[in-house]
Amino acid sequence: MASSSDLREKLRKKRRALQHSLQVKDDVDADTQALVPTQKEAGQTHIEVLTAGEEEPGDALRRNLKAQRQSRRRKLEQAPAGDASVMEAHYKTMVEVTAVQQISQKDEKAEELAVISSPTHSQRGDLPPRSRATPTPSSSHSESSTMRQRMRDKLRAARSKAESLLQQEASLEVPGSRLQSLRDRQPLTRFDQETDPDLKAGGDVNPSPLNPRVKFREAVRRVRMESKPETGLPTAEEAYNFFTFNFDPEHDKEAEKIQKGRTRREAEYEEGEEEEGEEEEGEEEEITEVDREPDGEDAERDDSAPLVREEEELFIVDKSAHDFLVVKRAEYMGYQQRLQSENDVLFTPSFLSVPASSKVPENMQPRYLEEEGLYVGERPPISLTNQNILENRILKQEQGRKWFGDDGRIMALPDPIKESSTRPPLFHMEDDVDPALQAIFRKALKSKHASQYIAVGGEMNGDYQLDVDVSGLIFSHHALFSREHVLGARLAQLYDQQLSRQHRNLTEHLNTKLNGLRNAVRNMLEMHAGHGLTPIMQQRICEYKQELRNTRRLRDAEQDKDRSLLKSIIKVWKEIKALRDFQRFTNTPYKLYLRREDVERASDERRYEAEIQAEVDELQGEMEEDYQRKLTEYKRQQEEWKTWRRRQKAKKKKTKKKKTQSQDDADEDDDEDDLSDGVAELGPSKPDPPEEPDMEGVEEQVREKASRIRRKPGEPILVPELTASGPITSNEQCPRGEVARREDVTKRSLFTKVLYNDKEVSRTDNRSLNSDFRVHFGQIFNLKIVNWPESIKLQVFEVLGSSTTLLADVFVPVPDSSILTGSALSEELEFSSNLRVMFDHEAVGSDVPFSFEADGSNRQTLLTSGKLSCCVSWAVGEDNIPLAPPTTLPKAMYSGLKQLDAIACIGASSLNDMKKLGEWATESRLDPNDPNNSAIMQLLKVASSGVVTAPEYFRLEQLQEEFNFVKEENLEQSRRFRLLRLRNQEVADFRNYKFVPALEREVTDKVFQEYERRLREGVIVDTKDHLDAHRALVAKYLQKIRESIFNRFLVAKHNFILSDLVQEEEVPTIGILGLNLFKLAEPKRPLKPRRKERKKVTAQNLSDGDIRLLLNVIRAYNIPVRKPYANKPSVASKSSRSFTETFTAGQPSQRAIQGSDWILNQVQVRPFVEVSFQRTVLQTTTADGPNPCWNEDLQLPFSAPNGDYSTASLQSVKDEVFINIFDEFYYELGGEGEDRGREVHTRLEKHWLGSVKIPFSTIYFQSRIDGTFKVDTPQVLLGYSKERSLSSDGGYDTMRSLNEGAFITLFITIEPQLVPGEPIREKFESQESERLLQVSEAFERDAATRYPDRPCLTTVIDINGKTVFITRYIRPLKPPQELLDAFPNNPQEATELIARYVSLIPSLPDSVSFTGVCDLWSTCDQFLALLAGDEEEHAVLLCNYFLSLGMKAWLIIGTAIPEGPTAYVLTFEQNRYLIWNPSSGQCYGQYDTFCPLQTVGCLVSADNVWFNTQVYTSPPRICFDTTKAKLWKPFFSRAIPNPGLSSVQPEELAYRRTDQAAAAALQDRMEKILKDKIMEWRPRHPTRWNRYCTSTLRQFLPKLELSGGRDVADEHRLELQTLLGDYRISGFPLHLPFSEVRPIVEAVYSTGVHNVETSNVEFALAVRLKCR
Amino acid sequence: MAELHIIGQIVGASGFPQSSLFCKWGIHTGGAWRLLSGLKEGQTQVDLPQTGDMAYWSHPIDLHYTTKGLQGWPKLHLQVWHQDSFGRCQLYGYGYCHVPSSPGHHHIRCVTWRPLGSWQEQIAQTFVGGGPQLRSPDIIYSGADRYRLHTEAMGTVQLELGIIMRHFDRYGVES
Repeated sequence: MASSSDLREKLRKKRRALQHSLQVKDDVDADTQALVPTQKEAGQTHIEVLTAGEEEPGDALRRNLKAQRQSRRRKLEQAPAGDASVMEAHYKTMVEVTAVQQISQKDEKAEELAVISSPTHSQRGDLPPRSRATPTPSSSHSESSTMRQRMRDKLRAARSKAESLLQQEASLEVPGSRLQSLRDRQPLTRFDQETDPDLKAGGDVNPSPLNPRVKFREAVRRVRMESKPETGLPTAEEAYNFFTFNFDPEHDKEAEKIQKGRTRREAEYEEGEEEEGEEEEGEEEEITEVDREPDGEDAERDDSAPLVREEEELFIVDKSAHDFLVVKRAEYMGYQQRLQSENDVLFTPSFLSVPASSKVPENMQPRYLEEEGLYVGERPPISLTNQNILENRILKQEQGRKWFGDDGRIMALPDPIKESSTRPPLFHMEDDVDPALQAIFRKALKSKHASQYIAVGGEMNGDYQLDVDVSGLIFSHHALFSREHVLGARLAQLYDQQLSRQHRNLTEHLNTKLNGLRNAVRNMLEMHAGHGLTPIMQQRICEYKQELRNTRRLRDAEQDKDRSLLKSIIKVWKEIKALRDFQRFTNTPYKLYLRREDVERASDERRYEAEIQAEVDELQGEMEEDYQRKLTEYKRQQEEWKTWRRRQKAKKKKTKKKKTQSQDDADEDDDEDDLSDGVAELGPSKPDPPEEPDMEGVEEQVREKASRIRRKPGEPILVPELTASGPITSNEQCPRGEVARREDVTKRSLFTKVLYNDKEVSRTDNRSLNSDFRVHFGQIFNLKIVNWPESIKLQVFEVLGSSTTLLADVFVPVPDSSILTGSALSEELEFSSNLRVMFDHEAVGSDVPFSFEADGSNRQTLLTSGKLSCCVSWAVGEDNIPLAPPTTLPKAMYSGLKQLDAIACIGASSLNDMKKLGEWATESRLDPNDPNNSAIMQLLKVASSGVVTAPEYFRLEQLQEEFNFVKEENLEQSRRFRLLRLRNQEVADFRNYKFVPALEREVTDKVFQEYERRLREGVIVDTKDHLDAHRALVAKYLQKIRESIFNRFLVAKHNFILSDLVQEEEVPTIGILGLNLFKLAEPKRPLKPRRKERKKVTAQNLSDGDIRLLLNVIRAYNIPVRKPYANKPSVASKSSRSFTETFTAGQPSQRAIQGSDWILNQVQVRPFVEVSFQRTVLQTTTADGPNPCWNEDLQLPFSAPNGDYSTASLQSVKDEVFINIFDEFYYELGGEGEDRGREVHTRLEKHWLGSVKIPFSTIYFQSRIDGTFKVDTPQVLLGYSKERSLSSDGGYDTMRSLNEGAFITLFITIEPQLVPGEPIREKFESQESERLLQVSEAFERDAATRYPDRPCLTTVIDINGKTVFITRYIRPLKPPQELLDAFPNNPQEATELIARYVSLIPSLPDSVSFTGVCDLWSTCDQFLALLAGDEEEHAVLLCNYFLSLGMKAWLIIGTAIPEGPTAYVLTFEQNRYLIWNPSSGQCYGQYDTFCPLQTVGCLVSADNVWFNTQVYTSPPRICFDTTKAKLWKPFFSRAIPNPGLSSVQPEELAYRRTDQAAAAALQDRMEKILKDKIMEWRPRHPTRWNRYCTSTLRQFLPKLELSGGRDVADEHRLELQTLLGDYRISGFPLHLPFSEVRPIVEAVYSTGVHNVETSNVEFALAVRLKCR
Repeated sequence: MAELHIIGQIVGASGFPQSSLFCKWGIHTGGAWRLLSGLKEGQTQVDLPQTGDMAYWSHPIDLHYTTKGLQGWPKLHLQVWHQDSFGRCQLYGYGYCHVPSSPGHHHIRCVTWRPLGSWQEQIAQTFVGGGPQLRSPDIIYSGADRYRLHTEAMGTVQLELGIIMRHFDRYGVES
C-alpha cells in the first residue's frame, strides 16, 4: 500500500496522456464536423476542465461530468433561444451522459469503456443523434466512424494500461513482471489456475486469488474514499457492493466472455467484410484477425499492442469442454461374445444322466442292497432331470462322492410322510357325546373393568404395589366354643370396652368441661355484677347455660354407662366363676382382678356434696328461668285474652243497646252471656297460670340420680383387670364331651385367601385353631397391581380334614395413597358367618340356641364371628418412593367406581345430604377458625348459599364450571374478541377491518362507539345531519331498506359458482389466431386511433393505490367570457359582442373606449379545468379563449372505503368526480414604494365558471365515459357573459338557450378496468299473471339476444320487492295547481315549469343505495313522500304530469351519458319530438347533437311497450313513430292483447303545503352552516362578511328563482355594482335541489370561492330555500 | 382468555377404492368454546387425480377459537365422498380426529371407515352406487354405540394443521 500513491501518480500520468490524445482527436473532429461554433468552445472548456482534473480517475470522471454539465449550461445561455434543435441535442446528450454516469457507478468493467468514452460523446454532443448511434457496417467507411474507431482504440489502449496498472497494484509483490509480453504466455484457464503449479509458482499471471475486476473495483472505491475524506463511512453504494458482490471466479469468466464477444464484434466491425469467424477455431484465429489490422494507422500501432495482449489474456478461457471430453460410442458386447464370456465364468450342470462308474468309488461295482435281501424304503419321487442336474453338480464339488450310496445313487431316506391319516376317525352322533365335553357357544364378553387400568404415566410404568399384611384373627364366637368360652369372650369384650372407655376417659373430660363452663359463667356474672349486662353478654350467658345443661346431660349418661359397664363385667365374671364351679374344669385362662383404690372419705364427700349442690343450684336456676318465661308468656296471653274480651263486650253492648233500649237490668248476666258467646265463637282460650317449680324436689332428684350413676362418697374406686394367666384344666380331668370338643378344635385349621378385584391373589398357610381361638398368620403379601384397586377381600376358610368351608368374607378398604407400609396401623375387621353348625359334644355351635342355665331357660343364639386383624398399605420403593398410583388422578379412580358426581369429586363424597351436614355442623358448634374444619366450613358456605345443591338435574358438561378458566362475562367483555366476531359476521362497520390488534388494551372502546350508537339509536332520528325531520326519516327509511336488502345480498354473495373461483383462459381458436395475425399487419400508429379494450381485473386482488381514475380533458366549448370591469357604477361598459344587452350605457366615455381597447388586448377568458376527487385536486394547464382545447390526461388515485376492493364495496362508493372550470385571472399589483414601475407583482385568482359532476358509481358501472357534457354553469356569473349564437330564433326559447350552455368533452375511465358486479337476477314474487311474466321474460330475452346493447325493460321491481309490469306506472297525474296557475296561457312555460319542478326533487341513485342488487321503482306518491329517487322515478313523474296536461308522452328506456342506463321522457308536440331529461329538467329536440341520450331501447306508454328494432339507436337517427311495426316491436299485439292492467299509481297526488316558517328556519341554519364552513376552509385568513352585500343578495335570489335564471345577469351585476361601488365582484348563484347539507357544502367547496387570498377580500353569502 | 388458532389444510386422501373424492368436514367443540372467526365446516372440491392414488384437495382451514375451559377440545370430523363418472355422490368414509393440543405443525392421518350394509345392499352398491350412511353423524365422534355397526375400513385423509395457542399458560395449561 505504500506504493499506492506512486501508482496513482502513474495512473494520473496515463490519464493525462489520454486526455492529450483526446484533445488532438477533438481538433480533428472539429475540423470535420463542427456544426455550431459554440460547440467547439464548449468542448474546449470541457477539455480544460478535464486537464485541470489531476486527481484520481473516479473523481476526475465526476468532475468531468460536472464540467460537461456546466459547459452545457453555459452553452445554453449563449445559444440563441430559438435554436430548438441545438437545445434538443443538448438535452439528449445530457440524458445520455447522466445515464452513463449512473452506469459507471456500477463499476462494471464492461461499462468502463463507455465511461471513458463519454467525453467523446459529450464533445460531439451537437451531432445529430443518428450519427452517434451508427454501429452498422454500412457507415463503417465514413470518416467519422473511422475517427471514432481510432478514438476507441486509443481509449481501449488507455484503459488496458490503466488496467494493467491496477493489476500491477494487485501483484505488488512481483512488480515489473506485469509488463512483459503477454503473448508469450501460455493460455490460461480457470482450471489451470488451480492445478498448474508452475503458473502458481510463476505468480506473474494471476498471483492473487482476486480477479482483476475486484481489484479494479477496490481501486475505484479507494479512490473515491480518498476523494471524500470527510466522510469516514462507506457510501450506500459501497455497502451495497460489499454485500452483494459475488466473489465467485466463475462470473469473471463470464465477464471475460462478454468482453471477448465484444472485442470480437468490434474486430469484425473493423474488418467490415469479414465473415463470421468459426467459433471453434479458438483464439488463434482471433489473434490473427486482430493482427491483420490495417497498417496504415501506424500511430496507433503501439496502442493496439496492449489491446491484443489483453485480448489474448481474455481468450485463455476459450478452451471449451471439447478439450476435455471425448465422445464415445455406447459400449455393446455381441451376443455370442457374451455367451462366450459367460461360459468362462459360469458352470451349468448338464442334465444328462451321470454314468454310474463316476459315482461309486473306483474299482467298485455298485451294490444293490435290495437284491441282497435288505429292506430299502421307497425313495421320494424326484424327476429324473432334476436328479441328473443335482448329481452333476455334486460331482463337481469336493468330496462329491460321499453323497452317493453304494448303489451309485444319491443317498435318500424313505419318504416319511404317510399318505393318509392313521388316526381312526370319530364317528359318534352328537347326542352320544359326554355332556361334560359338549361345547357351548358364548358370545365374547366385555370385560367388566376393562377400562380401569391405571393410566400409565411417566417412568412409573404401572409399578404399583399393595402390601396386604394378614396378621391374624380372633374369634369372638366360634362353633366350637364351650359355654365358658362364650362367657369368656363376652368378658373379654366388655373388658376391651372398659379399657377403651378408660382410655378415652370421656367422663373426666366432660366433668372438666362442666367445671370450666361453670367457672366462666360465674366469672362473667361476678365481673358484671355492678353494671347491667349487655345484651351480648346476656346472650352469651344464656348460651353457656344451655351448653352447661347439655354437657351435664352427656356427663350423666357417660357416668351411667361407666357404672353399668363395671357392673356387667363383674356380673359376667361371677357367671364364669359359677360355671367353672359347676362343670368343675376351666376352659379359659381368664381371670379378673378388681383393683381397689381407696379414697379419702372426707374430701370425697365434700366434693360429692359440692357437685350435687352445684347441680341443684343450676337446676333450680333453670327451673326458675323457665318459670319466669312461662309466666310472662302467660301474662301476655292473659292480656290478649282480656282485650279480646273487652272488645267483644263492647260489641255486644252496642248490639244490645240497639235491640233493647230499656233493658237496663241484669247487666252482669249479659256480660256472662257475652263471654260465653265469645268463647264459643273464637278467640284465645283463657290461659292457665304456670305451676310453681318444685324447688325441694330437685335436690331429691339429683341425689337419687347421683346415687344411681355415681360412686358413693368414700367408696373405693374399682378398676377391673383381666388377665389370661389362669390355668386350664388338662384333658384328663375333663369329661368326655369336653375332651371331644377339644379334639375337635385341634382338628380344625384356618387359612385366609386374599382376593384382589374379586380374583384370588394368594392365600396364607394353614394354621390350626388353638384352644383360645386365636389364629396367627403373620404373613405379608406384596401385590403388584395393574388395575385400579376396586376391592380387596380376605376370605377366611376353615379346614376340617379335607373339606374347607368359607367362614366369612372380610372386605378391606382400599387404602389411601398416603398410607404406606411401615407407617400403617393394622386394623381389626369384624366378620361373622351365618353358618349353622351343631355338635354333639360340649361345643355350643353356631346359630344354635343354647342356654347357660340348667333349666334351659334364657336361651341365646350366637353366630360365628370374629375379628381379623390385617393391614393394607402401599409399598415403599427402594428409594423411598411410594409405589402408590398418583393422587392427582382421583377423577380416574372415581370414574372407575362409576361415581360421577361433581361434589363427590371435590372430596365431600358420601355427604349427599347437605342439610344434615349443615345441621350437624351448627349443632356441634364447629370452630370456624380451626384449620381442620376449613374444608367443611367451605362446603357449608357453598351449600348454604345455594349454589351447590343436591343435583336434581342431569349435567351435560360435568365440571365445566369448576374447571373454567374464565367466566362467560369475561369472554363477552373482551373487546378484541368482540371485534373479531363482528368482523367475522361481516357487520358493516367492521367488515373490512384488516388488522385486529393482538392485545386487548390496544382495542379501544372508540371502535365500538359508532356501532353501539347506531344500534342504540336505531329509531331515534338525528336531525343534526339532516336539518329536516322529514328528510331524516326518509334517510332512515332508506337506510333500513338498504340494510335489509344488503343482508339478502350478503347471503347470495357467499354462494359461489364455478366462474367465480376458476378463471379459465379461453383456448384461442383458429379464428382468433387469424384475427391476431391480421392485427400484426395493422399500422403501428393509425391515423385515427381507437381505444382498445383492456383486460378486466377482478377486484379481489387490488389494494390501495392500484386503482387510478384516468381523466382526459379534451376540450370545451362556449365558456363564458369576461366582461370588462367598470370602476364607476354609473358607466356600464358595453360588451360589443354581447347580444342580449338589456341596458345601454349612458355616455360613451373614455372608459368605454378603454373597454373596447381592453377587449382587443385582453384575453377573453383563460380557462383551466380542475378535477377533484376524493379530496385529490388536479388541474390542467391554462388555455385561452372561450373554446379551449387542453387534451390533457389527469390521473387521480382512488381508494376504496376501508381498503375493501370487493365488488360490493366499490358499488357503494358515493364519491363524485367534480370537474370544475375556472378562469385564471391575473391581477397586477403595483410594486410597493420605490419598486413601482420596476417590479410587477401579480396575483393569481381563479374564478369558478361551472362544473360537471360525475358519480364514481357511474364510471364504475360503465367502465368508461366518453362524450361531451353540458357544464353546469350558474345562471348568473358576475363579471362574465355567455356568448350566444345568433342562429336560433325558433319557437322555443328554451331550446335556444339550452344550446347556449358551455360544454366540455371528457373521457373518463378507471385503470385497471374493473369488472362491474353482476346484478343478481333474483326471482321476486309477483302479482302479475303467470302468462304475462312468461311473455315478458321471453320478450326481454329475445331483445337481449338480438340487440344486446339496447336496454329493454318490461317488468320492474317495486319498493316492496315485487315484480310489477312497467306500464302500470304510467298514468296521468295532475301536477300541483300552482304550477298550472303560473302560466295559464302559455302551455310551453307550464311544461317547462313542471319539468323544472320534477328536476328539483333530489336524486338518489338506487345503485348506490342498493349495491348492485336491483333497481327499485317507487310509485309517484312514494317518490314524493320519500323526496328521493332515481332517474326512473323522475321520468315516470314527469311523464305522468305531461300526460295529465293532455300531451303525448312516453317513457324512454335507454342509455345516456353520464348516467348509463336510464329513463327519459319523450313528448310529441307541434310535429316535433322532444326529449326531456327528467333529472335536469332540460329538454332537447330530436336532432339536438348535445342530447345526452345516446341509445333508445324502448318506449313505454300507459298501455304498451315498444322495443326499438331499428338499425340505429341514437335519437337523431331513429323514427319515433311507434305505429310502424317494422321499426318498433310492440309488447302487446294482436297475439297477446293487453289484459287491461290497472295502474299502481294513485288516483291523485296529494300535495302537502310546506311549512314556510320551518323552511325559513332551515334557510337560516343552512346559511350559518355554509358561512361556518367557509371560515373553516380559510384557516389562515380572516374571513369578513359584507352584510350589506348579503342582504342585497337575499333580495336577488327570489327574483332569480322567479325568472328561472334567465336574462337577469346583467341587471344583477349592475345593481350590485350600484350598491357596492368600488368593489370588484365575482360570484354566482348556485341552484341545487336540497336533500342533505353535505352535498351542498361539497358543491360550495368545489367552486373554490374560499381560496381567494386577497388580503382585503370580503364575502357575502345568502341562501334562499324555496319550498313547494 | 385463552385463544387457539387452527390453521392448516386438508391435504388429501389416499387409499380409497376410487380416487375421485371430495370431503365434507366440520369442527366440533364443547360448549365452552367460542368461534371468533373462520368457517368451522365446509366442503372441498372434487379431485380427480390423473396420476396416482391420492386425491389432493389442499383445502384451507383457518379457525380462531377462544375458550372458557379445556373441556370439549376441538375435534375434526370428516366425511369422504366419492363422485363417480355419472356425477353421483356416495359416501366413502367417516372419520374423526382430535385437533392436536400441542402447538406447532402437525401432520395428521385420519383413518376412515364406512358402514357396511347387508349383502343385498353391498351388491346394490357395486352396481348402482349409494350405500348405507349414518342416520345421525354424531356417532362419528361419540363412539358409544359404534360397536354395533359393521364397518369397513377405508382410506386415510391427510391433514396438516398448525396450532397456535395463546394465553393458555395463564391458566396453567403448559404447552
